[in-house]
Amino acid sequence: MDKFLVSPPPHAHSPRTTASLMRDVIIALLPATIVAVVFYGWSLVLVLAVSVASCVLLEWAICKWLMKRPFECPEAAVVTGLLLALSLPYTTPWWVVLIGAAFAIGVVKMTFGGLGQNVFNPASAARVFLLVSFPSYLTHWEMPQRLFGADAVTGPTVLSLANEGGTQALANLSQMGWHPLFAYVGGSAGEISVLALLVGFAYLLLRRVVKIWIPLSIFVTVAAVSAVFHAIDPVTYTGPIFNLLSGGLVLGACFMATDYVTSPMTSKGGVIFGFGIGLLVMMIRYFGAYPEGVSFAILLMNMAVPLIDRWCHQPKFGREE
Amino acid sequence: MRKLTFPIGGVHPEDMKYSRGHAIEVLPLPPVVYVSVAQHLGAPAVPCVAVGDKVKTGQVVAEPGGFISAYVHSPVSGTVKTIGPRADIAGRPVTHIEIVVEGDEWMEGIDLSEDLVTEIPTDREAVLEKIKACGVVGLGGATFPTHVKLNPPKDAKAECLIVDGAECEPYLTSDHRIMVEKPDQIVVGAAIMQMVLGGCRVVIAVEENKPDAIAALDAAIGRLGYKNIEVATLKMKYPQGSEKQLINAVLGRQVKSGALPISVGAVVQNTGTVLAVYDAVQKNRPLITNVLTVTGDCISGDRMHNYLFRIGMPLSYIADYAGGVPADAAKIVSGGTMMGKPIANLDAAAIKGTPAILYLSEEVTRRKPEGSCIRCGRCSDACPMGLEPFLLNRLYKADDLAALKENAVQDCIECGCCLYSCPSFIPLLDNIRMAKAKVKKL
Repeated sequence: MDKFLVSPPPHAHSPRTTASLMRDVIIALLPATIVAVVFYGWSLVLVLAVSVASCVLLEWAICKWLMKRPFECPEAAVVTGLLLALSLPYTTPWWVVLIGAAFAIGVVKMTFGGLGQNVFNPASAARVFLLVSFPSYLTHWEMPQRLFGADAVTGPTVLSLANEGGTQALANLSQMGWHPLFAYVGGSAGEISVLALLVGFAYLLLRRVVKIWIPLSIFVTVAAVSAVFHAIDPVTYTGPIFNLLSGGLVLGACFMATDYVTSPMTSKGGVIFGFGIGLLVMMIRYFGAYPEGVSFAILLMNMAVPLIDRWCHQPKFGREE
Repeated sequence: MRKLTFPIGGVHPEDMKYSRGHAIEVLPLPPVVYVSVAQHLGAPAVPCVAVGDKVKTGQVVAEPGGFISAYVHSPVSGTVKTIGPRADIAGRPVTHIEIVVEGDEWMEGIDLSEDLVTEIPTDREAVLEKIKACGVVGLGGATFPTHVKLNPPKDAKAECLIVDGAECEPYLTSDHRIMVEKPDQIVVGAAIMQMVLGGCRVVIAVEENKPDAIAALDAAIGRLGYKNIEVATLKMKYPQGSEKQLINAVLGRQVKSGALPISVGAVVQNTGTVLAVYDAVQKNRPLITNVLTVTGDCISGDRMHNYLFRIGMPLSYIADYAGGVPADAAKIVSGGTMMGKPIANLDAAAIKGTPAILYLSEEVTRRKPEGSCIRCGRCSDACPMGLEPFLLNRLYKADDLAALKENAVQDCIECGCCLYSCPSFIPLLDNIRMAKAKVKKL
């Protein structure tokens, strides 16, 4: 009998592992990645490659030489690399991407203890780090050549137009090729197609990788806040449809705010977390100095997660009144 | 028809019930049996035979050792060879009565015919005494003496008897088989319990993956015509067979933490127990047989069996009869994959509540190395008690017993859903068990 295992139950395990969950997130990001690559071409491939490769290699190196422990889940580093690349313009120079990836993994993730230990979402934090360090590369975008013929056009993002000039400035957007669900020109690479992002997110929901509460709460809050402001002053304040579909909102809400590590454990906590993000996004968009606030909002709410978790517990069996 | 289930947590492992189509086979008698005196929850029974005594099948060989204890009967006829310690499935020494088998001569007064006895006795005390005398214990896992459970405090009123036919553990099919093959006996047994509990409603709750059992029970209820007995279909979800979850599913009521099911008017009895009560009350047959499943992921369907075994048969004897231990079995379990007990000693004897011999391959059962918690919350989602296993694990590591108590660690029913779900293979349940033991000592 000595050749048999004797260990306490359960004796079998769900097929879901951390690696398989992260693989699902990668699959969910593929539609948006593919659409973006089709639109932006090789420049974006370079951004993606630098971002993903440096995230993975850096985490491997830190695990091997600094922390001296196994590199647990390369898939998680791939997700960070993908998200960072998709939240940058395709024109970002490779060395800026490299700095961003080094910050995401080296500072935001590994200094806090690595997988599962970080307070902030690495991709959001790196995007904000690059935004404040290299604003020129991140706020002005070149129109992709594929769409507009031979000459590259430099232009502001729709959100910076709205931030500076209100809704009036948006009037001629449709002439610039702006369509809310698909060809959204001028923005981070991953924002090119809201539809592709939503398809990916639907996959995550179907596979039960994440729950809908955080993104839903963000969308409802953004829609409600912008509807109220837009009703009060439609000239100064942009409306709900525009705010839901522009900027990194869908990318941030569906893929960054839902990061397991940096979001609350309970659904109730997720609703509060999402409400906070939605409110902060709108405050930054309407009143802030920066045109776009999704990454900032996520980071600010990341800080509130321990507090939310302390407060929100799921109902216990036979202990509720 | 509306399918019932419990609202909090739970997991959906594949049911793996490949042995569901195998009719119950009767195992032949081994040359020797080893009858344990600790086949039930509570005080071990005290042997009342001496070495050299001749015993008959069904004769009492050990008497209750306390209020919560049970009679143990000889499963065979023969001669008592030794009385002394022998290793149980965990390898712990327990007093066993070794009986050399000489034929199969049953005690007088035991009805061995298959004739169905449908008349329900009316003397409650006599029925309880009979159940006690026949050594009936709960066969759903806890082996709690049935006569105690059927006799709630005077001030408590049973409103509903739930017969647990959920059999939510993967692989196990013994309850399924008895429901298909002996539905009349189960319904009569349930009616007897109904009488004992003062005429309450009876719900036989069966998971939807056993449509033939549901149909057989429905037909039996129609045939026999007892009042206030019904079958309820449950959705498939583990741990539906757990007492509190089953009550929640069927009655929509939650038993308060630390309270007994009777506090919400419920009594839960396993199907196997109900059949044992039928045998005891209507046939005067003591609990010396039960059905177990031989199954696993590393044996093919034709090597799976549902066996009617006698208590005291060495598990190795049963395994050999079923074709031997498969070469690629890495772990042998007495029970299902979620809550079964690991078998450290296959020479141990079967007891009243032995549910299965389950062979698991290395691939299925070997634990992967523990990873980091990624705070995915799957453990909390899976916990049917609404606990937060990740938090309990952390508090256990910090040795914060007060916080463990505050976070209801003692409510854990050890169903294993947290460890089953954890994508990082963190030994949540192992640590929570140790935390429970520490908190209990406070």
